[in-house]
Amino acid sequence: MNPVVEPKRKRINFSISLRYRLLLYAAPFLVLVLIFSYFPLYGWTYAFFNYRVGFPLFETEFVGFKWFTSIISNEYQVQEVVRVMKNTFGISTLGLLTSVFPVIFAIFLVEIRTNWYKRLVQTLTTLPNFISWVLVYAIAFMLFSVDSGIINKLMISLGLQSQPVNYLASSEHIWLKMTLWSLWKGLGWSAILYIAAITSIDQELYDAAKVDGAGRFRLMWHITLPGVMSTFFVLLLLSIANFINNGLEQYFVFQNSLNKDTIEVLDLYVYNTGLVGYNFSFATAVSMLKSLVSIFLLFVANQLSKWVRGESII
Amino acid sequence: MRKKTRRTWLVLLSSMLVLSMLAACSSKNNDPQPIASANNPGTTTEGDTDKPQREEITIDVFSMLSNFSGEQTGWFAHVLKEKFNVKLNIIASNLEGGGDIKFQSMMAAGDLGDLVVFGATDSKYLDAIAAGMLLDWTKDGLVDTYGKNMQQYAPKALEKNKAQFGGGTSIYGIGNEVGAESDGPSEALELNYHPNLRWDLYEQLGRPEINTMEDYLPVLKAMQELQPRSDSDKPTYAFSMWSDWDGNMMMNTKAWAGMHGYEESDGFNPGGFTLVSADTEDVQGILDENSYYMRGLRLYFDANQMGLVDPDSITQNFDEAVNKMRDGQLLFSWFSWFDDAYNTPERMEEGKGFHLVPFNEARSYSYGFDPYGGNRVWSIGSKAEHPERVMEIIDWLYSPEGNMTANYGPEGMAWELKDGKPVLTALGEEAFPANKTPIPDEFGGGVWDDGRNQINNTTFKSTMINPDNGDPYDYSLWTSTLAKDPTKLEENWRSVMGASTAVEWFVNNDKIAVQKSIYTGQPYVEMTDDLKQKQGQVASVIKEYSWKLIYAKDEAQFNQLKDEMINKAKGLGYDDVVEFNKEQHKVVFELRKNS
Repeated sequence: MNPVVEPKRKRINFSISLRYRLLLYAAPFLVLVLIFSYFPLYGWTYAFFNYRVGFPLFETEFVGFKWFTSIISNEYQVQEVVRVMKNTFGISTLGLLTSVFPVIFAIFLVEIRTNWYKRLVQTLTTLPNFISWVLVYAIAFMLFSVDSGIINKLMISLGLQSQPVNYLASSEHIWLKMTLWSLWKGLGWSAILYIAAITSIDQELYDAAKVDGAGRFRLMWHITLPGVMSTFFVLLLLSIANFINNGLEQYFVFQNSLNKDTIEVLDLYVYNTGLVGYNFSFATAVSMLKSLVSIFLLFVANQLSKWVRGESII
Repeated sequence: MRKKTRRTWLVLLSSMLVLSMLAACSSKNNDPQPIASANNPGTTTEGDTDKPQREEITIDVFSMLSNFSGEQTGWFAHVLKEKFNVKLNIIASNLEGGGDIKFQSMMAAGDLGDLVVFGATDSKYLDAIAAGMLLDWTKDGLVDTYGKNMQQYAPKALEKNKAQFGGGTSIYGIGNEVGAESDGPSEALELNYHPNLRWDLYEQLGRPEINTMEDYLPVLKAMQELQPRSDSDKPTYAFSMWSDWDGNMMMNTKAWAGMHGYEESDGFNPGGFTLVSADTEDVQGILDENSYYMRGLRLYFDANQMGLVDPDSITQNFDEAVNKMRDGQLLFSWFSWFDDAYNTPERMEEGKGFHLVPFNEARSYSYGFDPYGGNRVWSIGSKAEHPERVMEIIDWLYSPEGNMTANYGPEGMAWELKDGKPVLTALGEEAFPANKTPIPDEFGGGVWDDGRNQINNTTFKSTMINPDNGDPYDYSLWTSTLAKDPTKLEENWRSVMGASTAVEWFVNNDKIAVQKSIYTGQPYVEMTDDLKQKQGQVASVIKEYSWKLIYAKDEAQFNQLKDEMINKAKGLGYDDVVEFNKEQHKVVFELRKNS
């Protein structure tokens, strides 16, 4: 429209073709990937040295594959790794099994008609996601501690217990307890994606089903549930690839000598051997295993996706 | 278009909000200490009118012995502010994950803080020196300029550090508990390890005889039945333990070895998995059948079955155990100092309180005087911005005046000089040893116990004579204190035991094992890295299983866990470490003969 502006615009466009322009758009993100995903791999070099904190890496002794072979050279070391893997896989499996709860929660939440109540529930369930694990442990401590814990006081005053019990030091059902804590923390947050998926379901489907005489539960079963299933599967596959990464903080704050056997997941084990046990290099070697397992699991998940849904995710 | 940007801004802003909320939460966790001392910058010129006012600095104190983290408050903070215009920010590895975690991360960051306190001259100390993390005190004549007191009052401690750890030329630190040159026990009233019981309850039971360490259990059970609730109506226990001091093994279990005259360290080498006799050549592996360590675990297991072990032991830290002691929840103490919180003047006047109730097999461990200093080292980080001001403080602590002030406060507050001898003031009578007595604002306010020096390392042996007044440093040995009428508790105890102090009883009955100080100009032999790795792994197995054994459900589970512990520890190289330890002890036994 304006004859003065037009030639300027042309001048900007002249040299960069569409292909390169797209690449340029993506470049900042590629740099981020390089920095945060590939550059840290440099840390793997620590596994080949006998590293001692405080000394420059290359001044410490080069030991080749010593730490890798030491993982399997000793029967007791193998038992340790097996135990840790069992914990990791056990807790992750429970995590996968409980990942249906956010779906159920989301489906029922959108059914709530009273708006303020719905908002209230959603806010209250989403909030725990923003509380750090350290504070979650503080809450757990207030509830379960021996002398001042609410549960102990309640149980004693009700006459169900004669002596205070140290619930936090108990090693029973630790996998289940940990899963419940993380479910409590993540329920509302994980439901957000499903709620979004539900709101994008075409309202006409519901209207049509209502005309056909479907009740509330029929609507949920035949329309809402299939509507969120694809979202659920994508998230499920991603979490399978993430199977071995069940994090550190939660288990770190809840661990003690009595439950260590069953709570020590791989990330925590790496921390405990590296920082507590004075052995960075060995811990690095063990943590490298994790990457191998992760890649393997990703391919398994991808294959599963191909079989089940006919499309791959990578 | 405009709408879109606005939405982007909203998203950005809200995510920033969330982030700042998280940041606020975490910073709250990091320094929980409010600044309690009412420091008044107007009053700082009192003694220093001739000197220009120096800039205020905060010294980062990394103490591997402290049980307090955050800024030093109360009367000790006030003293340092007045004298040096310095604040202390204490970093306590005990409270930050325990073990070596804090040390490792600070080493990795390349900065150990300004003032560094090591719990032992172990590989951590050697590594810190080798990696250049500690300042050489001989550089630029630092120790000659700012270390006059150390050179005067602890010359041999400097000499030892130079010879053992500085290759004969450099000085990287100075040891604690510097003593006089004499034989015999260095303790005066009480030893470090000895069983103290609630004396009033023990008397009510008719003082049953105790032969072995295991015999305490029925007595303690009867005491618990006599006194089932504490002052604040909480259940009482015999043993309330804490895990944050555990090193190579469980500390509260090791204490039983101390009561038999055995310790983890031989006084020269850092500890491992052996228990060494103070004055014979006997060595136990901690996992040996019937070692004092294994007997200790068995005793706690039995005690737990009888309801004598605080179920909170595994989840609490030292401070919480002390609070239970203060409240009267506990009936037993392994250490003569652990019951200080209960033995207030009022209670002792009523005849209530803890005192030594020995068992017939006891041979309590005693540390001899050591002019070369102990193994808890004061040192200065190489990245310290004002090394001379840090050294001034250390040097002051190694002066008679500094040592008195750091332990008992400035003259005129809790103590004063009468006819040249120290005497407790009314405030001191009420506050000592560790009570929550309010301190007047002119001395920094707060309460006595919280305001005490939180670095938790010593300089002189407390039984040494203070050259300024001719009395020992320890207030309980002052002429004025000894002249006082004994409290009812003390009186009762003395009349039964036929001795005036615990040490006197141990010496008279020949139930004391004194470890002589030894000195060579050589550093000890360091473990190979391979062995160190084994030691680390085995230690974590032993600690973990020790706690599990105590809380085992029944005999069968106890035995099963015990076998598991031994197999696992041996499988990971326990025997190699013990063999190394034993070889090093042999060297020390030779030195003991010659010293």
